[in-house]
Amino acid sequence: MFVQINDLHFSYKGAQAETIKGFSISITKGEIVSLLGDSGSGKSTILRLIAGLEMPNQGVVVVNDCVCCDDCQFMPPEQRGVGMVFQDYALFPHMTVEKNIRFGLHKLSRKERNERVEEMLTLVNLSEFRHRYPYELSGGQQQRVALARALAPKPSLLILDEPFSNLDTSLQHRIRDDLRRLLKQTGTTTIFVTHDEEDAEALADRIVYLGEGKIKKQIMTENNKTFNPQIPCFV
Amino acid sequence: MNWYAIKRQLNGWAILSFIALLFIVLPGIVVLVELFAPVNENWQHIREYLLPTYVRNTLFIMLATGVLTTVIGTSLAWFVTVYEFPFRRFFKWALILPLAIPPYIGAYTYHGILNYTGVIQTTLRNEFGITVDQTYFNIMTIQGTVFIFTLFLYPYIYTITRAFLHNQSSSMVENARILGRGSWDIFFTVVIPISRVAIIGGVSLVLMEVLNDYGVVKYFGIQTFSTAIFSTWFGMKDTSSALKLAGTLMILVIAILTMERLVRGRKQFSYATTKVKPLKPRQLNGWHRYAVFGYVATIFGIAFLIPFVQLVAWTVLTFEQVFTAEFFRLVWNTVSVAFIATVIILVFALIIANYTRLFPSNMTRVISKVTTLGYSIPGAAIAIAVITLFLLLDEWVLNVALALDLGQTFVFRTTLIMLIFAYVIRFLAIGYNSIESGFEKVGKSFTEASRMLGWGTVQTFFRVDIPMIKGAIMSAFILVFIDIMKELPLTLFLQPFNFSTLATQAFKYVSDEKIHEAALASIVIVLMSGLLIFVFHKVLDKEAD
Repeated sequence: MFVQINDLHFSYKGAQAETIKGFSISITKGEIVSLLGDSGSGKSTILRLIAGLEMPNQGVVVVNDCVCCDDCQFMPPEQRGVGMVFQDYALFPHMTVEKNIRFGLHKLSRKERNERVEEMLTLVNLSEFRHRYPYELSGGQQQRVALARALAPKPSLLILDEPFSNLDTSLQHRIRDDLRRLLKQTGTTTIFVTHDEEDAEALADRIVYLGEGKIKKQIMTENNKTFNPQIPCFV
Repeated sequence: MNWYAIKRQLNGWAILSFIALLFIVLPGIVVLVELFAPVNENWQHIREYLLPTYVRNTLFIMLATGVLTTVIGTSLAWFVTVYEFPFRRFFKWALILPLAIPPYIGAYTYHGILNYTGVIQTTLRNEFGITVDQTYFNIMTIQGTVFIFTLFLYPYIYTITRAFLHNQSSSMVENARILGRGSWDIFFTVVIPISRVAIIGGVSLVLMEVLNDYGVVKYFGIQTFSTAIFSTWFGMKDTSSALKLAGTLMILVIAILTMERLVRGRKQFSYATTKVKPLKPRQLNGWHRYAVFGYVATIFGIAFLIPFVQLVAWTVLTFEQVFTAEFFRLVWNTVSVAFIATVIILVFALIIANYTRLFPSNMTRVISKVTTLGYSIPGAAIAIAVITLFLLLDEWVLNVALALDLGQTFVFRTTLIMLIFAYVIRFLAIGYNSIESGFEKVGKSFTEASRMLGWGTVQTFFRVDIPMIKGAIMSAFILVFIDIMKELPLTLFLQPFNFSTLATQAFKYVSDEKIHEAALASIVIVLMSGLLIFVFHKVLDKEAD
């Protein structure tokens, strides 16, 4: 499996109860998985654990054959090769669109870097806005910058936290179709979190229903033409 | 927590923070250890005959100043926020200006105005032939001390309360108005209760300043802890007893801070929403308008305008005599030492604030609390603790040098290092608070975004964190710089031989009964502070937009 998460447990500091109680999932390469649940179901926490922004009490996270964390090691977020789009996008306000996208490309040579920035700007269709600052963009454009920035370093896994929560409804529909096309086009393995069933159905191959820090059920969506019953379900 | 969790806590940030913290705590430990050392005969004498006076005077000044600054500070904040009256926009800023006049400068200026040869009595004698009873014009009393502290310290309460009222109160006050309450009623039933936390915060700042002061009480000859520590130390040559007094003072401070926490409790009233709708000032009619204007203008007049004009007059009088090459050296000394200390403080503050922010735990919470402790230790206590510490250090260096046969050694206590060290201890809290709130405002998501893009904590710090809190760093710089520039007790007792700043030179002139000559140095301090305060509020205003 491309992404393998086993028996993840987590509790916030000072909290008595565990927020995440034994979460496990396997994801194949290129699959788009949606974590669906009400607020407080722990869905964003799972993303933060995968990203390395929080440290689990126990459990194993493996991404692309690289053990990100288990009982005796913890890899900091910058070494995991996971890309993330934040709920509020977190675009650096002191950098232009182009600089934001370039930010994660420090491991490439200058030439490769320029090429990659061009590629990403074209991909999200923002070439003409390259010199704008984030506050000079609309919500939809900001989201595309955030996506381009996260995809630019070619992460092995992309995670999105409530990608549509800051957009108005009409924009939401168009963008989620674009987003799916883009993710499939780049073959990016993706996990995203939402509380909107419609979003999940439109974007994901598989929907994982969460409740009280555990998986309630999983279903394959209409999108997933090649429905594969072999994918194990940990319920 | 398992072992890699512990390892994760022990990184470069943690180690640097611990080192910085050690510096802060060391003098405190020196003082507290001495508190439990065996007592000598002198200390018994001090405790029996002198300590009650010190305690009584200190407590009286604190209590009276606390009450008066609260009344003046909150009433001004209320008037400026809620009512429209002539020159309101001017006063909104101008009422902060007394903060630019350090109390010791205010003290000798008022003494100069009111004494026998001062402008008031001279005018009365020469123009009207009236000779007044000197007791009515003697400001060098405990009441006079309270008067001075009140005038020049009320802005602490005014600024905090005004900011709070401006940001938080509009809907509550408007609702109360709709419900038919009158202004007077609203002030006591709504405004005072909701701004209690802000007011208490301001008052505790005022009290810390009162306890820290040395200049005013020394000049007025009032026996308080500050003066007692120095007179025991230099007059009686009894370091042990002086340290004991400092320790007693620190316990008093800790008691005040604990009380503040208790009174404040969990009652931190603020809205969950960040949308701020400022209160629209209401037009005042008839005589009310002029009454409010008169009150506000009177406070501004006696707390800033009168002393300022008097200082200008004296400066003109003595300008040629004082404005020499030596004076430029004073300015240079003041600015350069304040600059170096401020930069060191900001570096420490940034490291500690970033550490406590990135790795929240009980440990970092303690570190954060201890970092802010230095500001509550009065200058007198820090001064004696630092000297004691540097004596030990120099002795140790000497012993090592003798053992290794190195000959000439470095003596720390005759250098600026000692003074800068003391500044860092005392003013780190100011820089830290400002930077910490800057970090709080921008949140953690930018840092997290940077780390998700492959940058470690150090690179993220320079490429994202610092640019994001530029405004907070700037205001931290201004606040710390002003405080160091006008600082008196630490500088007075820790400055190296042949080194003076504007503040200490002004105080030296005054001690030599040369009040007029002190004016130029004082006015430079006032102007620089005033200018920086103005820039600071501009920065804040811009950030609020």
